[in-house]
Amino acid sequence: MNQESKRIVKVLWVMGALFIILVVYLSYFEIFRASKIVTNNYNKRQWLNEEYVLRGQIVDRNGKTLAYSEKIENNKQVRKYNHGRLYSHVIGYSDKEYGKSGLESSYNNELLNINALNPILEITEKITGPKEKGNNLILSLDHELQKYAQQKLGNNKGAIIAMNPKSGEIYAMVSKPDFNASTFKENWEELVEDKESPLLNRATSGVYTPGSVFKIITAAAALQNKEIDTEYACEGSVNIEGYVLRDYQETAHGEVDLLEAMAKSCNIAFSQMGLQLGEQKLQDTAEKFMFNRIIPFDLKTKSSIFPSKGIMTKPELGASAIGQGKVLVTPLNMALATSAIANDGVMMRPILVKEILSSEGKTLKVNYPQALTRASSSLIAREIRDMMVEVVTDGTGTNARIKNIKVAGKTGTAENDTGKTHAWFTGFAPAEDPKVVVVVVLESHGTTGGKSAAPLARDMMIQTMNRVK
Amino acid sequence: MLKKFISYKAPQNLIVLINSLALLLLFSFRENFDRNMLISGLLFICIIYISNWVLLKWSTGDHYLFLIMSMLISIGVIMIYRINPMYGAKQVIWFGIGIIIFFLTYFVTKKVQGWEKWTIAYASGALILFLSTLLFGIKVKGATNWIRVAGYSFQPAELIKLLFVFFLASYYTNEKKLKNPYVFFGIVYAHIGFLFIQRDLGTAMLFFLIFMTILYIYEEHRKFILYNLGAASVPGIMSYFFINHVRVRVETWIDPWRFIDSKGYQITQSLFAIASGGFFGTGIGLGHPEFIPEVHNDFIFSAICEEMGIFGGMAVIMLFLILVYRGFKIALNQHHRFFRIVAIGITAMLGFQAFIILGGVTKLIPLTGITLPFVSYGGSSLVSSFAALGILQVASEELEQEENHEPRIQEDC
Repeated sequence: MNQESKRIVKVLWVMGALFIILVVYLSYFEIFRASKIVTNNYNKRQWLNEEYVLRGQIVDRNGKTLAYSEKIENNKQVRKYNHGRLYSHVIGYSDKEYGKSGLESSYNNELLNINALNPILEITEKITGPKEKGNNLILSLDHELQKYAQQKLGNNKGAIIAMNPKSGEIYAMVSKPDFNASTFKENWEELVEDKESPLLNRATSGVYTPGSVFKIITAAAALQNKEIDTEYACEGSVNIEGYVLRDYQETAHGEVDLLEAMAKSCNIAFSQMGLQLGEQKLQDTAEKFMFNRIIPFDLKTKSSIFPSKGIMTKPELGASAIGQGKVLVTPLNMALATSAIANDGVMMRPILVKEILSSEGKTLKVNYPQALTRASSSLIAREIRDMMVEVVTDGTGTNARIKNIKVAGKTGTAENDTGKTHAWFTGFAPAEDPKVVVVVVLESHGTTGGKSAAPLARDMMIQTMNRVK
Repeated sequence: MLKKFISYKAPQNLIVLINSLALLLLFSFRENFDRNMLISGLLFICIIYISNWVLLKWSTGDHYLFLIMSMLISIGVIMIYRINPMYGAKQVIWFGIGIIIFFLTYFVTKKVQGWEKWTIAYASGALILFLSTLLFGIKVKGATNWIRVAGYSFQPAELIKLLFVFFLASYYTNEKKLKNPYVFFGIVYAHIGFLFIQRDLGTAMLFFLIFMTILYIYEEHRKFILYNLGAASVPGIMSYFFINHVRVRVETWIDPWRFIDSKGYQITQSLFAIASGGFFGTGIGLGHPEFIPEVHNDFIFSAICEEMGIFGGMAVIMLFLILVYRGFKIALNQHHRFFRIVAIGITAMLGFQAFIILGGVTKLIPLTGITLPFVSYGGSSLVSSFAALGILQVASEELEQEENHEPRIQEDC
C-alpha cells in the first residue's frame, strides 16, 4: 500500500472512531444519566404522564389519609392536602408550575407508577392498556403524634423528631415555620422571600450549632481512647491560649469524673478531653456518627459538619469538643446519633416511607429496618446511656423526668451568631429498653435546653409511648 | 420474475417493506384517513424502488451508497411525517427533486471532461455566492445564510460545500503546476471567514475539517499541517472570548442546566427527548418530540431517539459509518486522482456533517446548527446532499486515467 492509501485508511479509522464514540456515549447517557434527567421539572413529559395517571395516596402508619388526588372534569385531577400545615415539609407539594418538594418529589415516580429504564415492563403495560392509577405510600409517621408534635412546638422556630431507635422508623417530624401545602401558590413570593425560610425543612436540612448535645460524641471518643484522662478539677472557666472558655453561669463543678461532667454538662472538663484527644480522633468519632457524611433518607438531607481541614487551633478544638465553634448538626443527625446510643451502638437507617402499595393494594416494596453503621461499641453505648440517665435524674435535664420510667437524655444550650441560644434536648425512654428517641431544637430561643426543650421532649416521649406499643 | 421481485436478497425490497410498514403505522396513528399521505407514501416507495433498480442497470459502480441513502431518507421521512404531515409531504417532493438532481449530477459529471482544470472557477464561484449572500442575504434564526431567488429561498453554503471540495481536489491534482500554497490557504480561510461572518459556525467547522482531512492526506510539506492547526486555533480560542455567540455555544455545552429556561433550552429539551426514549423508544407517535424547537430540522435525531429508541439512533449512526466506509473504499480503488480526492472530500463532508450535528444534539460536542444529511427536513440541504452522492457515484466507477499521472496502485499491495 502506498503512503496516500495508508493515510486514507488512517482517516477512515479516525472517522469510524468518532461514530463509535457517539454510540458509546449514547449508551452511557442512557444507562447512567437518563433516569436523572427525565425527572427534571422542565421535562414537560412528566406533567403529561400526570394527566392520565391518578397520583397515588399517602397514608400514615395506621392508614389515615394524608394526601390524595381527585378526578375533576376533563380528565384533570387535583391534589388534596387535608391537614393544612401539618405535613408541609414531609409530604411537601406537587404543582405543575412550581414543581415538587418533599416526598411528592422524591417518590414522584412511585406515586405516578413510572418505570423509567424498564423497557420490558413498559412494553407489556402499553399492550395491556394505559395504567391509570399510581402507587400509594404508607409512611411510618403517626398522624396523632405528628399533630401533637406540631402543637407542642407551637410558634417556636425549630424542629421536633420522634423515632424508633431499633427500627429507624420516624413517628413524627415537624419543622417550623411552615406553610400550607394547599394554598402556598397564593403567597409563593412571600414564602420565597421570607427570611425565616418557611420552605426549609429544618429537621433534615437545618444545620445548627449543637452545643452540649455534642458531648455525647466527645464522650464516645474519650471512652474509645482509653489513654485519655477523664477526671478534671473544674473551676468554672479555663484559659486556652488566651481564649477563655466558661461554664454556664461560671459554675465551678470541682473535681469531676466523666459521669459527673456529663450530668452537669461541664464545658471545662469536655474541652480538656477534646484537647487531649486531638482533632483527628475527635473527627473520626464524629464521622462514625455520620458527621460530614450523607445520610440516606427519603427526603433531601444536609450533612452535618465537623471541620476537617486538619489545622484547628487549640481554642477551636476546645470549642469543638463542647459542640461550639464551627461544628454544625442537623436535628435528624442528632436523632440518629442518640438512636445509636439507645440501640447499643448500632445506627439504623432512618425510615419515613414504610411500604409502597399498588393501586390494587398489592405490596410492591417494603423498607425493612436496616443498620446504617456501627457508631460505637455496645459497651461504650451503655456507658454513655448511664451518663445520660444521670443527666435526667440528677443533672441539667431533670425537666425530662417521667414518673416510673427511666429516661436518658442530654441538654444543650448552643451559642450562635444570632446572639440568642438554641435550646436542645435529645433523649430516649425507657432507658433499659428504648422505645422512642426524641430530639427537640428551639432555634434562637434564648433559653437553656434543660428549661425549655426538655419538657417538650418529655411530653413527646410520654405521648409516643402511649400511642405506639 | 415474481420470485426475484419479492426476494429478500435484493436489499431495496427490504427498504420497500419497511416503508410499507411505516406507512401502515402512520395510518393507524393519524385517526382520520389522509389521502395525501397515501399518495405521497406510495410515491415515495415507488421512487425508492425504481431509482434503485435503474441505478443497478446504469451504473457499474458502488450500489451500497444508494441503499444507505434510501434507508436514511426513509427514516427521515417517516419521522418528519409523524411530526408534521405537511412537512412530510413536502419532504417527499424534495426527495423526488433530489433524485432528479442525483441522476443529473451523475450524468453531467460523467460526460463532462476536465473537471480538474477549473481551480480558479471553483474559487470565484464560491466567492460570488458568498458575496451575494452578504448583500442579499436574509436572516433566519440568527444566521444570515439564506437568499431568495424568484420566490424560493435557498442556502448558498450548501452549493459552496461542493465547490469547495472541487476546489481542494483540483488544487491537489495540479499542485505541481500551481505551486502557490499561500494563495491556496488564503482562499480556504476566506471561505471559512465568510461563514464565520454569516454566523454559520457549524458549516465553518465542517469546511475546516474537510480541509484538514485533505491536507493531511495530500500535503507533501507536512509542516503545513501543524502550521494550519496552530494558525486556526488562535482565532478559534480568541473567538470564545470576543464573540458572544461562540461563547454561548460553549457555555451551554459545558452546563446547559444552568440556562435551562433561556439559552440552554433547546439542548436540554433535546436531552429530555433522548433520555425519555430509553433503549427501545416510546414507539412512533407515542413520544413527544414536538417539545423540541426545530425538531424536524436540526434536532431530527433527538426525535428518532425518543420514538425509535437509542437503538434506532445507533442504527442511524451505523448507516453513516457504512457510508463513510464505502466512501473511503471508493477513494482507495479510484485511479483518477481528481476523483479520488473528490471522493474523500465528499465522504468527509457527509461524515463530519453527520458527526457535528449528532454530537451537538446529544451534548457530546458544542451544538452548532447544521442539518443531518438525508434525514433532516429541508430542500437546499437535501438537494446538495443528493448532488454530492451523484458525484460520489461517478467516483465509484472505473474512470479513464488522465495522462501524466503515474499509476497509484502498486504491485506490492
